[in-house]
Amino acid sequence: MRNRNATAYRFLTPYLLIFAIFWVWPIISSFMISFQATRTVPWRFAPGFNWGRLIGDPAFFNALKNTLLILVIQVPAMIALAMLMAVLLNSPLLKARGLYRFAFFAPVVVGEVAYSAVFRLMFSLDFGIVNKLLNSIGLPKIDWFSNVTPAMALIMIAVTWRWAGYNAIILLAGMQSIPEDVYEAATLDRVSKLKQFFYITLPLLKPVIVFCAVLSIIGTMQLFTEPFLITERGGPGGGTETLGLLLYRQGFRSLNFGYASAVAYTMAGLAIAITLVQLWLTREPK
Amino acid sequence: MANVTLTNVAKRFGAFEVVHGANIDIRDGEFVVFVGPSGCGKSTLLRMIAGLEDISGGEIAIGGKVVNDVEPADRGIAMVFQSYALYPHMSVEQNLSFGLRMTGNPKADTDRRVKRAAEILRISELMERRPKKLSGGQRQRVAIGRAIVREPQVFLFDEPLSNLDAELRVQMRVEISRLHKELGTTMIYVTHDQTEAMTLADRIVVLRAGHVEQIGRPLDLYDNPDNIFVAGFVGSPRMNFIKAHIAGRDAKGVLVELAGEEKTRIVQPLAGPAPETGSTVIVGVRPEHFGGAGEGDADLTVAIDVVEHLGGTSFLYARTAHGEDVVIQRDAARVPQTSEVTVSIRKSYLFDEKGLRLR
Repeated sequence: MRNRNATAYRFLTPYLLIFAIFWVWPIISSFMISFQATRTVPWRFAPGFNWGRLIGDPAFFNALKNTLLILVIQVPAMIALAMLMAVLLNSPLLKARGLYRFAFFAPVVVGEVAYSAVFRLMFSLDFGIVNKLLNSIGLPKIDWFSNVTPAMALIMIAVTWRWAGYNAIILLAGMQSIPEDVYEAATLDRVSKLKQFFYITLPLLKPVIVFCAVLSIIGTMQLFTEPFLITERGGPGGGTETLGLLLYRQGFRSLNFGYASAVAYTMAGLAIAITLVQLWLTREPK
Repeated sequence: MANVTLTNVAKRFGAFEVVHGANIDIRDGEFVVFVGPSGCGKSTLLRMIAGLEDISGGEIAIGGKVVNDVEPADRGIAMVFQSYALYPHMSVEQNLSFGLRMTGNPKADTDRRVKRAAEILRISELMERRPKKLSGGQRQRVAIGRAIVREPQVFLFDEPLSNLDAELRVQMRVEISRLHKELGTTMIYVTHDQTEAMTLADRIVVLRAGHVEQIGRPLDLYDNPDNIFVAGFVGSPRMNFIKAHIAGRDAKGVLVELAGEEKTRIVQPLAGPAPETGSTVIVGVRPEHFGGAGEGDADLTVAIDVVEHLGGTSFLYARTAHGEDVVIQRDAARVPQTSEVTVSIRKSYLFDEKGLRLR
């Protein structure tokens, strides 16, 4: 038995080595870097330097506020929308189901840069189709990129567009695993379709919803592409700067690796903390 | 309580017809079992009565009222599903009361009904448990309980015991019988197991490929089957079928000669028209209708392949000289020790080439 294990580990060694060098070591290394002052050469050990700065940095709190704002508005809205899409996809009345399923899932496959460019065009002040549509129904144009509130809304719309279908497909798979005869029993019990959704589908789908929520929370905590490309590096004036962008700005533009590492660890810590709270709140009763 | 009447009920999926004009009249308080092999349309028929499947043709009436276009919940029926269909996230108590709570039934009445159902099924101590913490038999009781709290006019059971092990099946069979006696409600029960049908039913409806083959009391079907399918389906081990032909007739009836057994002739009295001499027929003999040599109408020598001892009785799996397999039932004390044995046919049934009973 020992021999067989040894053989297995020998086969695993190349992977484990790569894993250790490119995964484990950077994780440890960045943790150590977060305790170093990296704005001077050579770097020196100064535990309070980055972590101390973090506590009092208005840019950090701005990024944190923006990230959490997106989290509390966009994630629930997206999951509600995904649920609606999943219900529609699951409806026996729907024709061309495969086509819709593909269409809902397609945004995930589209390249981030391409979709960001299209969003910039669609929401452009003078030429964008969105403002033209608003105008056509008598509403004023919105300058999506120059004001903080519309810019934040735009980020949330973009992220929702990209990930709602993905979540809908996961929820759909969950819905399809609920046995049909449970609904038939409820129908015979004179329970309306709407009540069946709230009292049977939703509770039975809870583990899947929690899974989607956890994935989305982790994703949103790391949000980078949309504010970087669509609202041009967290514009206007840092109004859509997220923790991911702050990290990028500190690490790769100011080359302040120590502070960037501290931000990265804060992001990971927050994602874990929020997820744990979420799991605790939605735990199965004994 | 109510009677249930099916008149020319048909079911089509597209161009494919799975139930062909079924006519069944179920009396108030009766326990009727639909039995037949897989795919015979028995569950579809039950689901049409429940309203879970549309009716493609004909008419279903419950308590004298045509229900073709009535919502399932308004038909006065309750159904027990094969998979139990319990709500997995609810306790037993919640499972029982869910329907009543959702429809705004007064709480006191809901509590009374739930308590009564729990007492009838002896599940009062399980009320706080979730379905996954229950055994198969307990789940089945809860599923039946959920039907009882609806206080329906008609109970529908869709193969409710097929997920249980053999011992539990026998136990639940007795419980369902007891329940029928206690409630006196009309019950329609679907199964593919003829033993369940024989033991539970007031009357059995035998179905095959969407056709009603015969309706009757269990022993009537056993003693007096209309055709070779019913004869073979009802009874275990099944009836033996031996090829034969009509050799002539005398004052008492037709003379039947078993294939390859020129000396074995059976006299079958027939009330109806007799088939022509020389025409092929099939003789059906139940395992217990074989007697010792000379005890019956005709003797037959068979070669024994296997003997199954069940204690009180034994089954001899044997072959005739013509190569046809037969099963013979014997008292354990009378099992021959030889490889060949001569048996007599004490009672037999005659079927024409198409499988219809000649009588």
